[in-house]
Amino acid sequence: MTALQNELKTMIIECLDLEDIDADDIDNEAPLFVDGLGLDSIDALEIGLALQKHYGIKLDSNSEETRAHFANVNALAKLVQSHRTL
Amino acid sequence: MVAFKLEAWTAVAPSLESKSDWQDWISDSFSMKDSTLNVDLKHIPMMLRRRFNALGKSAMGAIGLLNLDNQNIPCVFASQHGDTHLTLSLLEGIGRQDDMSPTGFSLAVHNAISGLYTIATKNESAVTAISAMRGHIASALFETLSQLQTSERVLCVIYDSQLPELYRPYSQSTDFPYAIAIVFSRERGDSLSFEYSPPLSSAERSTAYESELRAFVAFLLSDSGTFTCSNNGTAWTLKKQTQHVC
Repeated sequence: MTALQNELKTMIIECLDLEDIDADDIDNEAPLFVDGLGLDSIDALEIGLALQKHYGIKLDSNSEETRAHFANVNALAKLVQSHRTL
Repeated sequence: MVAFKLEAWTAVAPSLESKSDWQDWISDSFSMKDSTLNVDLKHIPMMLRRRFNALGKSAMGAIGLLNLDNQNIPCVFASQHGDTHLTLSLLEGIGRQDDMSPTGFSLAVHNAISGLYTIATKNESAVTAISAMRGHIASALFETLSQLQTSERVLCVIYDSQLPELYRPYSQSTDFPYAIAIVFSRERGDSLSFEYSPPLSSAERSTAYESELRAFVAFLLSDSGTFTCSNNGTAWTLKKQTQHVC
């Protein structure tokens, strides 16, 4: 599963222009938004678009479920994996 | 006649980092050695810094050099073309039927750079974003003067970058990104007057439009200069009297 987490971190760094951040700087369990990495709502939309491009995942931007998927890198990895086994 | 003051100004562009570099630029004895923009953006938090490209970085770099003690200041941001590189790339994406980047879309409005600046500095004052084709600097001065009616100081930022090649046959631009940041004040700095002047002939008007930036930088560098600008068929002259400290 670590490979997937690293792949997601690289995707996040690239799609959000996080020039000064390495994949190793992002903790799998740390919150992505506000605290932790400190991303904002525009970043959330950008990650949603990247998930669609890379993994064909379409999310409802307003649902509670989406919020849970975006909590941290591990939660995103679970989302991608469940989508793959469908 | 309107009287006000020029408290401080800074200007940045690639290889144009000091006032003497700009002096060389206006006297044509300047050649660009390096096209990278050396600006210090430490005053902008890292997570916001990534949203600025060359145009926004120039504006933030010039403002940073002012070392403003109080960043809660009304602002006038004037850019003729805005971020045309970004808007063109979004249009090209639409042409390819790509999904549009939400970040790109949010930054494509003309007040995006001033908006990010006010978020970064928690500035809650009035902010105007101007885009004027002819008489660009004159428009920025008019807006600054109206803001000075209700505020002690106004930050005025004049900035642009080179147009993408596709647009170059249709309009002129500098061939590098630049920004000039000025603090105009009611009380502090060199005395300025802004006065209605006799209308310019059409030839004079064309020259005034074409050499507007150069003439304005020369005015800023001078001790007691004048700068005549044209706007909607009327002409206005800005005069400076430097305050010498005894």
